[in-house]
Amino acid sequence: MSESNQATILSVRNITKAFNSNIVLKGIDLDLKEGEVLALIGGNGAGKSTLMKIIMGIYQPDEGEISIAGKYIKLTKPSVSLAQGIYLVPQEPMLFPNMSVEENVIIGFKENSRQLHKRLLMLMKQLDWNIDVTRKAGSLSIAEQQLVELLRGLMRNSRILILDEPTSSLTFNEVNSLFNIVDELRKKGISIIYITHRLSEVFLVASRVVIMRDGVIALNGSVDQFTQEMLVQGLLPQETKERELHIENESIDYSKLEPVLVVDKLSGHGFNDITFSVYPGEILGLAGVVGAGRTELATTIFGRDAVLSGKVFINGMDITGESTPRVMAKGVSYVAEDRFLNGIYKISDVAANSTASNLKNMGRFFMNFKEEREITNHYINAFHTKVTSQDQLMGSLSGGNQQKVVIGRSLAIKPKLLILDEPTRGIDAASRGDVYAIIQGLKAEGLAILLISSDMEEIIELSDRAVTMYGGKINQVFSGDRINQDSLMAAAFGAVEESQVND
Amino acid sequence: MNSIPSLKKTVLRWESFLIVLLLVEVIVFGSINPKFLIPRVFFGSINNFMTICIVSLFVTFVLITGGIDIQSGAIVGLTSIFIGVLWKDAGFNIYVASVLGLFLGVICGGLSGFFVAFTGVQPMVVTLGGSFLYSGLALMITNFSSTEAYKGINGFPKEFTQFVRGKIFNIIPNQLLIFLVLVVIAYILLHKTTYGRKVFLCGVNKNAATYSGIKTKLIIMSTYMLSGLGAALAGILLTAYLGTAKTDLGKEITLPVITAVVLGGTSNLGGTGGVIGTALAAVVIGMLRFGLSMADVNTQYLDIPVGILLVIAVAIRFAGSNQRIGKFNKKLKGIFSSKRVLTK
Amino acid sequence: MIKKLSIPRETTSIVFLILLFVGVGSVNSSFLTFNNIMLNLNSSVIYAAVAIGIAFVIITGEIDVSVGATLGMTAAVCGSLVRDGNVTMGIIYALVVGLSIGFFNGFGVTVLRIPSIIMTLGTNGIVRGLIYVYTDGKWVENIPLSFKSLSQERVFGTFTWFYFAVILVMIISHFIMTRSRTGRYFKAVGDNPNGANLLGIPVNGTKLFAFVLSGLFAAIGGIMYVSRVGFITPIAGSGYEMKVIAACVLGGISLTGGVGSLIGATVGAAIMASISRVLVFLGFPSNYDNTITGILLILVVVFDAVLQNSSAEKMRRKRLAAKIMHVKTTVPEVLGNE
Repeated sequence: MSESNQATILSVRNITKAFNSNIVLKGIDLDLKEGEVLALIGGNGAGKSTLMKIIMGIYQPDEGEISIAGKYIKLTKPSVSLAQGIYLVPQEPMLFPNMSVEENVIIGFKENSRQLHKRLLMLMKQLDWNIDVTRKAGSLSIAEQQLVELLRGLMRNSRILILDEPTSSLTFNEVNSLFNIVDELRKKGISIIYITHRLSEVFLVASRVVIMRDGVIALNGSVDQFTQEMLVQGLLPQETKERELHIENESIDYSKLEPVLVVDKLSGHGFNDITFSVYPGEILGLAGVVGAGRTELATTIFGRDAVLSGKVFINGMDITGESTPRVMAKGVSYVAEDRFLNGIYKISDVAANSTASNLKNMGRFFMNFKEEREITNHYINAFHTKVTSQDQLMGSLSGGNQQKVVIGRSLAIKPKLLILDEPTRGIDAASRGDVYAIIQGLKAEGLAILLISSDMEEIIELSDRAVTMYGGKINQVFSGDRINQDSLMAAAFGAVEESQVND
Repeated sequence: MNSIPSLKKTVLRWESFLIVLLLVEVIVFGSINPKFLIPRVFFGSINNFMTICIVSLFVTFVLITGGIDIQSGAIVGLTSIFIGVLWKDAGFNIYVASVLGLFLGVICGGLSGFFVAFTGVQPMVVTLGGSFLYSGLALMITNFSSTEAYKGINGFPKEFTQFVRGKIFNIIPNQLLIFLVLVVIAYILLHKTTYGRKVFLCGVNKNAATYSGIKTKLIIMSTYMLSGLGAALAGILLTAYLGTAKTDLGKEITLPVITAVVLGGTSNLGGTGGVIGTALAAVVIGMLRFGLSMADVNTQYLDIPVGILLVIAVAIRFAGSNQRIGKFNKKLKGIFSSKRVLTK
Repeated sequence: MIKKLSIPRETTSIVFLILLFVGVGSVNSSFLTFNNIMLNLNSSVIYAAVAIGIAFVIITGEIDVSVGATLGMTAAVCGSLVRDGNVTMGIIYALVVGLSIGFFNGFGVTVLRIPSIIMTLGTNGIVRGLIYVYTDGKWVENIPLSFKSLSQERVFGTFTWFYFAVILVMIISHFIMTRSRTGRYFKAVGDNPNGANLLGIPVNGTKLFAFVLSGLFAAIGGIMYVSRVGFITPIAGSGYEMKVIAACVLGGISLTGGVGSLIGATVGAAIMASISRVLVFLGFPSNYDNTITGILLILVVVFDAVLQNSSAEKMRRKRLAAKIMHVKTTVPEVLGNE
C-alpha cells in the first residue's frame, strides 16, 4: 500500500491535555488522509483513548487545535464531532440493550423512518451482513454488537471512523470479516483510525502506523517501512537505562522452597488454562496488555468471580472458588487494579482506610480505636506516607499516598501471598520509588508477591521471574536475563512464535 | 490546594448548624407564643413526634449504606395491631406480645433487606411493595380480632401505658428519656462498633468493601432489619402512649423520617451521616411542626415547610459537592481575573 | 432465554390481566359479564392517566412520587373553578399547575442534580400542604351535575369517553415514543445514559420533559377526578403515587429505565384497579387489597431485578469469553536461570 496522495481529512496540532496534575497528552501532531487506514498503537497510559475522546468531543484539549478538511473546528461536545462526520466505535459497544438493532442504528436521525430503514438494509447488504434488525441489541454477540456500532457510523456517512480495539472480542473468522469491511470502507474514501494491541494486525490492515508513548508520538510512518521488531522498539521508552537489576537480586534457590501459590490449569471468565506458581520471597511479574485477562485471573483467585475449572492452592490448602473473606483468612491479599473504583474509601479517613480489611482484629464488638491508630501509624511511618493526620480524608491524598495506604491495609492481615494489580498506576515518580522499596522490602521478609503490571520497566525492575498473558492465556515465561523490554513487549503484544489454530 | 477539612470537622459543623437552627426555632416560636416555653409544654412536645424520632434513628443505618426505606410507617401500624390482637384476642401478656412485635419488625425489615442485598432490587421499590404488604397485613390481622379495624383496640394495662406517658419531676416525659437512651444505643452501634464501621464502609464504597473481605450483603440486609426493629419499637411505644392499637398509626411518617435523616447530614448516596445529626434533625422538624401549630398554623399546612426544608437541605449539600458548580465558579473567576488563557 | 427477551413485556401483562379476569370468572361467573368488564376498565381511567405520565419519568430512569399530590392539587383547582362556573378556566389552570409542578421537579433533578426520589418526595410534601392552603382545609363540593355526568358518558355503551380519550392519547403518545426521533430519546436515556450522551442525545432535556409530562398527565387525572368523584377533599390523591408506580411495574416497566411502554402502564393501571373489585367478587374482605398489591409488586420487582442481573451477568461473561484467544501453546514452567 503506497502513500496515498489524497487530501488530509483530519489534522491535529499540538494537542495537550492534563487531568489534575497528570499530563496525559504532551503536544500531539497527527494527520489523517482520506481513505487511509492508520493503525494507532500504544501501551497502557500512552494517551490513545484520551486523544480519541478529544477528537470525539468528549473531552476538551487544554491546548492545540483540530481541523477537519482544512477548517478549524472546536469539538465541544459529541454532537459536534458527529456532525463533522467523526464516529468512534468504542471497544465495548455502547448500545441500548433493550432497543432493537434498527432502533439502535437510526436513533438521533431526522429523516423519515422508512427512508432510514431502506438505507439500513442497503448498508447491511453492502457489508454482507444478514441479521434480523428487530432483534434486541442485548441479545447480540459482541461481534454483532460491534457491527451495529459500525453501522451507526456508516449511517451517519462518517468520513472518519475510529475503531477502538475492534478485534479484541472477535473470533478468528470474525476478524477476517472485519478486515474485509475495513478494506471496503477504505476504498470508498472513508478514513479509519485503527487502535489495536495486536501488532500482527497492523500489517494486515493499515497503510500507516503511529505509535504513542507517554503522551507523545514516538513513531509515525508508512507501514511498509517497519517490521514487527521495529514496532516493538518504538513502544519502548527512550531512556532505557541499562537494567542490571538482576545482578543485584540474589538468585533464589528454588529447590529449597515450596510454592506459596499454586495455580493449576485454572480457567475462569476471561482467562483459560492458567498454570503457574509463586514462591516465598519471590516476585512473579505478570505482564500483558489491558484485556489480556490478568485482573480477571487475580480477582477470580481472590474469590470475586466463578472458577470454571482447575485449582488454586495456598500453602497446600485448596482455596479454589472460596469466597473473598475465606481466601483472605487463608492468607491472600489483593490490591485492586482500579484504586478509585475498588480500592479506596474516598470520603473516609486514612485510619478507616487502613483497617478496613482487618476489622476482625479491631475488637470483638466495640471498635478498638487505639489499636486502629497504632496500626495506621505503623504503616504511615513504615511507608513514609504523607498525611496531615490520620483523620485526613482519603480523597485528598495524592495518588501515591493513597496507594501506600491501600498497600498497608492489605498487609495488615499478615498475608502469605500479596497480589498487586497495577500498583503504581497514576502515581508520581517519587511515590513510585517508595512503593518499589516497599515491595522489595516485603520480598526480603519472605512474602510471595504476584505483581501484575502493564509497565514493562516495572516488571523488569522488580521481578525475579515473569510471565506474559495474551488473550487470556499465558504465552511466555521468563527468568533471569530474559526478563527484558524487548521480549516482554513482544510477548505482551502477541508477537510470539506460536502455532495459530483456527477455532 | 487548601487543606480539606477532615470528615469529623464537616460533621461537627453541620450538627452545630442544626443546634443553631433548633435555638432559632425556640426563640422564634417562644416569642410568637410564650406558652411554647413553659417547660411542661416544651418538653412535652416530644410526645407528638416521638415516632418520627425513633424511626429515623434506625432508618439512618439504611441510608448510610446508600439504600432507602419507605416501609417503616407500615411496620409501625402492623406492629401496633399485632400486639393489640395478641394481647386482646389471644390473651398474651402485653410485654410478651411487645417482644414478639419486635421480632415481627425485624422479620419485615429483613425480608426487604434480603431482596435488596441478594437480588439487587432497588430499595425504593421493594420497600414500596413492603409498605403495601405490611399495611395490608395489618388490616388482615384485624380480621382475626373481635374489634373492627377502624375502632382500634383499647384498654391496655395501666402499667404499660403509664410508663410511656409518665413524666419525671412532672416535666420531662419518659419518652424523652427513652429517646435519649435510644440515641445513645444507636450512636454506639453506628459509630463505636466494628459493625457500624462496616456499615459505613459498605456505604462509602461497596466494591472496596467486598474487596476488603467485608460481607456486604449481610451488612446491608442487617440495616433493614434494624430499621424494621426501630419501626416496631416506635409502634409499640406509640400504642402504649395512645392506649390504642390501630393499623394506620404510622401512616404519614415517611416524608418526615426521610427528611430528618437527610437533613441530619446523611447523604442518600451513602457513606456519610450520623445518628446525632438525625436525632437533632428529627427534633428540629418535630419542633418546627409543633411550634407552627402553637403559632396557630393549621396542622395540615405543616408538611410544606418540611418539604421545602428537605429540598433546600439536599440542594445545599449537592451544591457543595457538585463539580459542575465548582467548574462554573472557576469559569466565573476566569472571566473576572486579569489573566486570560488564550485559545484560538 | 433469548426468545424470552423478545416477548414484549406488555404482552405478559395483558395475558396476566386476562388470566385474572378468567380466573375470577371461573369462581364467580357474574364477573365476566360485559358490563362488569367495562366497569372495571372504566374505573381504572384515573390510574391510567397518571400512570401514563409517570411512565415517561420511569422509562428515563427516574422516579416521581409527587404525582398523587399533583393530582389532588389540580383536582382542587379545577374543582373550585368549575364549581363557580368556569369550566374552561378550570381545565386550563389545572393543566398549568400540573405543568409547573412537573417543571419544578424536572428542574431540581436535572439542574440542581437532586436525586429524583428526594426531590419529588419534597415536592410531594410541599404540594400536599399547598392543597390545604388553597382549599382552606375545606372540601371542594357542589360540582355542577353537567360536569360530573361527563364521566358517565359512554361511547356506544362501552367505554366511557374519558377512558376512550385516555386510550387515544396513550396510543398517540406510544407511537410518538416508539417511532419519532425525539420520542425514542426517553427509552435511550433510561437504557444507557452514557451511550445516549455519546450520540449527542440531550439527556437532561429529555428527563426534564418527562417530568413535565408527568405533571401534565397527573393534571389530566385531576380534572377527570373532579368529574368522576364529584368532590375533592384535601387528601385527594393520597397514595396514588404508590399505586401508579405499582401499575407501571405490573405493566412491564422496569424501574431501572429503558424498558416498557405506555401500553404497559395502561394495562398495569387496569390490573391495579381490578384488584379490589376482584377481591370482592372472590368473596375476600376488601382489606386484602394492599396485601395482594404488595405481594404482587414485590414478586414482579424481584423477578425483574433477577432477570436484569442475570442478563447483565451473561453479557459480561460473553464479553470476557470473547477475549480469550484460541491458540495452542505449551509453555513449560521455568524456574531459576536457564
